[in-house]
Amino acid sequence: MTMTNPSAPPRFLRADGPDKVTGSGRYTADLTLTGALAAKFKYADVTHARITKLDVSAAKAMPGVFAVLTQADVPDVKFGPFVQDRTLFANDVVRYEGEVIAAVAAVDAATAQRAVDAIVVEYDPLPVVNDIEAALSPDSPLVHSGWADYGSSMIRDRNDASFASIAKGDVDAGMAAADHVVRSRYVADGCHAAPIEPRAVVAQWEGNKVTIWTSTQVPFDARAGVCETLEIPNNRVRIIVPHLGGGFGGKCGFHYEAHVAALARAAKRPVRLVFSRREEFLAPDRRREGIVYDFETGVKADGTIVARRAWLALDNGAYTADAGFFSQLAAMHALGPYRIPNALVEAHLVYTNHQPSGSVRAPTAPQTCWALESHTDEVARAVGLDPVAFRKLNAVDTGVEGASGQIYGEIGIQQCIDAAAAGAGYGQELPDDEAIGVAIGWWPSFSVPSGAYVKIDGDGSGQIITGAQECGTGAVMTLRQLVADELGMDAENFELVYQDTSVAPYDMGATGSQTLFNNGRAVVAAAGQIADQLRNLAAEHLEASPADIVLADGVASVTGSPDRGVPIAELAGIAAGGELLIGHGSGTPPGAPEIVGSVCVGDLGMAAWVAPQFSCHAVRVKLDRDTGVARILHVSAAHDSGTIINPIGATGQVEGAVLMGIGQALTEGTTYDADGRQRNAALLEYKLQTCADAPPIDVHFIQINTPDAGPRGAKGLAEAPNVATAAAISNAIAQIVGTPIRQLPMTAERVWEALISQETAS
Amino acid sequence: MSFVIAQSLDEALAAVAGGARPIAGGTDLVVGARHGKAPLPEALVAIDRLPELRSITETADGISIGALVTHHDIESHPLLTTVYAGLADGSALVGSPATRHMGTIGGNIMNASPAMDTGAPLAVMLAEVELRSVRGSRRVPIEQLWTSPGCTTAEPDELCVAVHIPVPGPRAGSAYVRLEYRRAMEIAVVGAAAFVALADDGTIAALRVGLTAVAPTVFTGDLLGQAGRSVADAAKATAELSMELAKPISDVRASDRYRRHTVGVMARRAVEAAARRAAGEVIAIPVNRAIGIGAAS
Repeated sequence: MTMTNPSAPPRFLRADGPDKVTGSGRYTADLTLTGALAAKFKYADVTHARITKLDVSAAKAMPGVFAVLTQADVPDVKFGPFVQDRTLFANDVVRYEGEVIAAVAAVDAATAQRAVDAIVVEYDPLPVVNDIEAALSPDSPLVHSGWADYGSSMIRDRNDASFASIAKGDVDAGMAAADHVVRSRYVADGCHAAPIEPRAVVAQWEGNKVTIWTSTQVPFDARAGVCETLEIPNNRVRIIVPHLGGGFGGKCGFHYEAHVAALARAAKRPVRLVFSRREEFLAPDRRREGIVYDFETGVKADGTIVARRAWLALDNGAYTADAGFFSQLAAMHALGPYRIPNALVEAHLVYTNHQPSGSVRAPTAPQTCWALESHTDEVARAVGLDPVAFRKLNAVDTGVEGASGQIYGEIGIQQCIDAAAAGAGYGQELPDDEAIGVAIGWWPSFSVPSGAYVKIDGDGSGQIITGAQECGTGAVMTLRQLVADELGMDAENFELVYQDTSVAPYDMGATGSQTLFNNGRAVVAAAGQIADQLRNLAAEHLEASPADIVLADGVASVTGSPDRGVPIAELAGIAAGGELLIGHGSGTPPGAPEIVGSVCVGDLGMAAWVAPQFSCHAVRVKLDRDTGVARILHVSAAHDSGTIINPIGATGQVEGAVLMGIGQALTEGTTYDADGRQRNAALLEYKLQTCADAPPIDVHFIQINTPDAGPRGAKGLAEAPNVATAAAISNAIAQIVGTPIRQLPMTAERVWEALISQETAS
Repeated sequence: MSFVIAQSLDEALAAVAGGARPIAGGTDLVVGARHGKAPLPEALVAIDRLPELRSITETADGISIGALVTHHDIESHPLLTTVYAGLADGSALVGSPATRHMGTIGGNIMNASPAMDTGAPLAVMLAEVELRSVRGSRRVPIEQLWTSPGCTTAEPDELCVAVHIPVPGPRAGSAYVRLEYRRAMEIAVVGAAAFVALADDGTIAALRVGLTAVAPTVFTGDLLGQAGRSVADAAKATAELSMELAKPISDVRASDRYRRHTVGVMARRAVEAAARRAAGEVIAIPVNRAIGIGAAS
C-alpha cells in the first residue's frame, strides 16, 4: 500500500503537551531539594597540555564550599563505550578546552564559581592537533600517547581511533571499465545539537543509594556510566529524567551524572549542576563530527555507476565517546542507497584536540549525504543525465543488492524520489536565481532489546510503565495509542510512567530512532497479555469462548453479537478482586540482515541496516547573487519509514528535521582558532534557523509493507528526515552558481566566494 | 548593589547624577551581563515607568520620539512607517518580537553599538538626541553622539530622553537594509541606510548614506556631489564610495573582504529603496523582506 499526505490525521493529544505548553511541567533545573548545593566545574581552557600543578586547597578552604573533587578523589577507571580512553576528571594531560579538571559544590552558584576561580592549575603546553588530515600523518603529535594500552574492540593506530572499510568487487577493474571518472573533494565542518535546554543534573544520596535527576536521552546508559566510574552496583543507582528540553542526540551517552553524584556524596548534601549555554557548547562529548571526503566514481556513458572509491577522515575530537562506530556508519553513507558493483571505502575516525564528537541526530549522515549527493550531481552532469533520472537509474530497489551485499526486502526509495520531485514541481520553469535540488538518503533501524509493563486498575484506567525515554519526538507519547488499540480502549485512558530506571525495564533510550521500533513492540506484547486476561474474563461473564471476544470501543463483546458485551471498566473491577490486570513484554527484536559479498573491517554500522528507512528531499532555493545569501522557498520531503502510526507526530518530526537540515546547510558550523578552541560557542554566533526562516514543507509518507519492521510495520523516523536536506540544498545552489560549494555549511560568504571564482573563470 | 525604580523624571535624573545606570527594557544590559560581556552595574535606576518618555509626538519641525518608545511601537506607528520609514525598517529587524516589545529606542541609541539597526537611519535623517541632566537639557546631532563601540559624548549624569527627527521635506524617502544570515535573532553583518530627496525631474536633490557595522561607530556620509545625477548613477556611486570608506573588521561573522563587498550592495539597495519611497511608492516595512535581502519569499 502506498499512501501520501493523509488529509485528515486523527486527533492526537500528547500526554506531556499540556504540561509543556502551560509551563506546569518540571525540568531538571526546576527541581529544588532541601539543602541543595550548587555545582561548578573547573575546565581546562587550554586544548593540549600536561598538568604540572593542580592545587585546590584555597578553594576547599573558602567558606560555603562543601566539596572540591579531582581525579584523585574518584576510582581510577577509564571508560568509553568503544575505546576506554578517558576518566571522569583530567588525569595528567588535558586534551580539549572543555575537559573537566575539578568540580566544586558550594552553598550557591556564585560561591561555587569563586571557588573554581581559586583553583590553581599550571601546564606544560603540548603540541595541538588541530587538523584532521595532518593528524593521520606518521609524524603527527599524538593526542593519546598511551593509545595502544586502552581497552577497545576497534581497529586503531596512533591518532586513528577507529578504521573501517567496505570492499566489494574489483574497484580497479570497475574504474577501468568506466566511460567517465569523476573525482571530488568536500569538507564538512562540525556542528552542534543545540537543544533548547542546557543540561542539568541533580543528585541526592540516601544511605548507600543515590537518586539522580538528569537531562539525558539515555537513562540506562547514564546509570551504567555512574555504576562503572563510581564502582556501584546497578540497583543502588536510580536515574529519573524529568521533562527533557530537547536532545537531538546531544544528550545521548553518560555525561556528568557521576561527577554530581560524587560531589553529593562528598558534600553529604544534594547537589545541582545547571549548565550555561557556553558550557553546553564547549564541554559535552557530543558534537557532530567534521569530515573530509575524497570521492571517485566511475560511470558508464548510459549513466550506470560501475565503481566508487571513497576516503573519509572524521574528526573524533579528544575522546572517542559513542563515535567509535561512526567510521562504519560514514562508510555506508559514502556508498549511499545505490547499486554499486565495485567499491572501496576507507574511513578513519581521527583524534584531534577538539571537543569530542558523538551522536547528533543521524550521526555522520547529513554531512556525508551532502558530500555524496553533491558529488552524485557532478557525476550526473558528466554523463548529461538529469539528476532525478540519474538517481532513479542507480538507486537501490526492492529485491536489489545494496552496497554491503544486503538484499533489500520491500522498500520505497523509488517511490520517494517520484513523490518528492512531484511535490516540488520538479522540471518547472524557474527564474534564473532559483533552482530545485534533489537528494536521496537512508538510515537504519536499530534492533535492540526493550521492555515495558502495562497495568489496568480497578476503575478501568491504565498505566504504561516503560523504560523508553521521550526526547520530544513524540515516540513515547505514541505508545499510548498502540496500547489503547490493542485493548480496544481510548489512548487517554492511559497514563505514562517513564524515564525512571528503578521502575521500568531496560530500554536503550531516545537514540538510534529506536523507541517506537523496539519499545512499541514491547508495549504491544505487554498489552496483549492483558487483552488475553480481558478476553478470558469476558468469556466467563458472557458465557462465550475467549476466541470469540472482541475488544473495541471500551467494550468486550462476542463476535457477531454486538449486544452481548460488557464494558472493559467493569471487567477491570472484577479483576481487581482477583487476578490483577498486569502485562509485561519485550517483543522479539529482528535479527541483523545477512551481509554477503563484501570484505569489511567493522560491520556494526552495517548490521544495523535491518528495516532501513529511505528518503528523498527536493528543495527549491533562491539565491541572492550579490551577497551569496540563499533562501529556502519550499521543501518537499518524501519518506519511507514504514507504516505511520501517528501522522501528526510524524509530520512534525519531518518538519523539525528539515529545519535543522537547513541550518546545517547554511548557517550552523563550528569554527576553530589556531589552538583548536571554538570561536562561536554562543547562539548569536552559532546560527540556528528560526521560525521566521521556515519555508513551507510538504511531507509525503510512502507506506509499504516492510519486512522486519516494528509494530504494525513502523520503522524509525527521528533521524531519517535530517539526512537529505542539506544535500538537496547544495544541489540547488550548485545549479545556480554553476559549481558546488565544497564546504559545509554553505555560508553566504562561501557561496559568494564561489560566485566570484565562477565569474573570474568565465 | 542598589536598584531604584524612578517615579518621576526628576528622580531618574537625580539617580543618574548619583552614578546609577538607567535601565528600561534591559535587552542590552541584562543580556550582556548574562553573557559575561560586562557585569551589571553596582547601581541601577529603572526608568521604564515614566510615561513622559513613552510618547511619539508630531511637531511642526518633525517628530519627537520618547526614549522609552519600543521598536515594536516604531514598526507599527503610522507616521514612522511612512514618512520616516528608514527608522521603522531598522526597528523591525531588531532581535525577536520579544526583544522589540522590550527594547527601547533610547537604549539602542545609547548602547552605541556599531551594528545597531536604528543608528544609520536616524543619522541620515539628521536626528538629534535630547540629553537631560539635573543641570539642564541639550540637543546633540546624533552622528556627533557616538565616539567608539559603547561610548558616547553624553556626560555621565545625562539621560537620553528623546530623539527628534526633522521633517524630511517633499519628495523625500529613507530606507535601511542590512545583510543578515537569518530572519530573526540576527545582528547586522553590515547594513546601510539612505536618505534621498528627488528633484522634480526625478534626479537626486539630496543624498545621505549611513553604514552599519563597518567602522567603530555608525558611519555617515553626505553625498551632495550626487545632486543632479540619476538615481541609478547615484546608487552605483554610493556603493563604490561606501566600499571605499568602510573600515570593516574580520571576525567570526564575516571577513573584512566580504563585508567591504556587501556594504556596497547594501548601500546601493538602500539608495534605490529610499528613492522609490521618495517617488511615492509604498514599500512594506522592513524593506529587507520587501526587496529581498537574502532573496525574497
